[in-house]
Amino acid sequence: MTRIFDPPEPVAGANRHPSADLLAGYADRGIDEVVAWSVEAHVASCAECRTTVSAHVDGERLARNRSVLLALTAIPDGGWGWRLAWRCGIPDHLLRLVAATSSLRRSWLLAVVGVLTVVTGEAVLVHHLWPPGGVSPHGASAAGLAPFLLFGPLLVLAGVAGAFVPALDPSYRLAVAAPFSSLTLLLVRALSALVAALVPVVCAAFVIPGPVWLPAALLLPSLAVCALALAAVTAVGPVRAVVVSGVLWAVPVVLLALGRSPLETVQSHGQAFCAVVLVVAAGVVFIRRDRLEMGWAR
Amino acid sequence: MGAMTVQVEGLSRRYGNIRALDGVDLTLERGITGLLGPNGAGKTTLLSVLATINEPDAGQVSVFGLNPKDRAERVEIRRRLGYLPQELGYHRHFTVAAFLDYVAILKEIVDRRQRAQEVARVLAAVGMERLGRRKIRTLSGGFRQRLAIAQALLGRPELLILDEPTAGLDTEQRLRFRELLSNLPGDPVIVLSTHQADDIAAICPRVVVVLEGRIHFAGTPAALAETAKGHVWTAERRDERAHMSWRDGDNRWRHIGDRRPADSETAVPTVEDGYLLLSHATGTR
Repeated sequence: MTRIFDPPEPVAGANRHPSADLLAGYADRGIDEVVAWSVEAHVASCAECRTTVSAHVDGERLARNRSVLLALTAIPDGGWGWRLAWRCGIPDHLLRLVAATSSLRRSWLLAVVGVLTVVTGEAVLVHHLWPPGGVSPHGASAAGLAPFLLFGPLLVLAGVAGAFVPALDPSYRLAVAAPFSSLTLLLVRALSALVAALVPVVCAAFVIPGPVWLPAALLLPSLAVCALALAAVTAVGPVRAVVVSGVLWAVPVVLLALGRSPLETVQSHGQAFCAVVLVVAAGVVFIRRDRLEMGWAR
Repeated sequence: MGAMTVQVEGLSRRYGNIRALDGVDLTLERGITGLLGPNGAGKTTLLSVLATINEPDAGQVSVFGLNPKDRAERVEIRRRLGYLPQELGYHRHFTVAAFLDYVAILKEIVDRRQRAQEVARVLAAVGMERLGRRKIRTLSGGFRQRLAIAQALLGRPELLILDEPTAGLDTEQRLRFRELLSNLPGDPVIVLSTHQADDIAAICPRVVVVLEGRIHFAGTPAALAETAKGHVWTAERRDERAHMSWRDGDNRWRHIGDRRPADSETAVPTVEDGYLLLSHATGTR
């Protein structure tokens, strides 16, 4: 180990000061780490040595470090959710990319909750006015679920669309001209938006007066309609892809609702159809993933 | 095509019936090149092709010997690119530092400390060191433009594409911007588009005039000014035959045209005069 003090006493005590050479070495980061700790402990309580150290520090480097520290403290995290995700092992740079997703903004999520509140309220109202087995028109209570069944997966689709529709990304052109993989960017954002939208939809499904299996039954259709949109993006423009996917979900729900049996869209046949759509769409996304890379397009 | 610079040959691009670029040939050397042209001339389209955003209908592009048609080479071009789009949108809920942090990640700077170093460097470069914590929505237009310039400098790009970088900057900020560009280390290739002929005259050793999707002039600002020699006069009265005339700082009429007005004096042409004469000759003004 480096001999650091003139006498063989402890590195720094209350009444002894480190040598000038040692302080210079400390300023240049040229001394052993353990010794540096001792010097640091002394310098913290000794104004005279602090003055000596500052004389050895490169002013430009100090200013640079100060700027970096300022920048580090100015770069905020995204609150408790961010810290929780970071503690779960998600890298902070991915969290920053997610934070730039429009459909994860508080205002967007509040809008989702608002729509869900309306359609859930409607279903509750219909259920109380025309309870199943009452004197109401046949199937009125089930038909009351139609708006929720229609909007639930559509809200999830809208959230995922927020992850890849250029008009919803204010700095889209920067993302295109950057080397970061746009496929990774899209998938990270889409997955985050999917989860963020699915949670309130599934929660609302627990509240709504419907069958107990309804929350689980909404998962597959929601995933299928989002996967379909992503698959369609490989062939047509993003907006068209979202509209086509949305319409393909809305048409059967509305038709079945007119026939007073909207729940069929999420029952066994509907689930099987959604599973097929999900698998095929995921396959298309995988095979045509190059087409999800942004830029150099007409 | 050369390996060391940016070269474009026979570049064409249409938007429906509109021909935005029509057989453009261009070489960009290291240093600053200014693109001058009116709105709709094709400057932004040309820059977006160079920035690997838009694919041309026809023609070849080579950036440092890399072909953007090839996916891997396109990514490599993007690694060396700094781009300021004409209309840069912001995530308005982001702070200044968070926005730069976001762009740094897009530029593949993943390490948090390294990102902070880059953010600090570019903030200092545009004089915004103390504004890192400010929300973007609270910034004035001039500061937003400085932020836009700062993000383009992240990662020390070798090719800097700046579309209307001085729009929204006041006189002092424009001078600082000129100073900043002139002192960038590493001698990058810089191409900037502008309406400000005085910006071109002040900092660009080369100027390219784009009119109706074609290159009509490529040379030094002095050579562009020279094209108006013998076509610029000042006089006490306005001459209706002039292509263009306006009152100058001495309250005299400055005329650009083919016929000398009565009782006029020949004036030393500027870059702006050369550009205006060229625009008139091609029927774009």
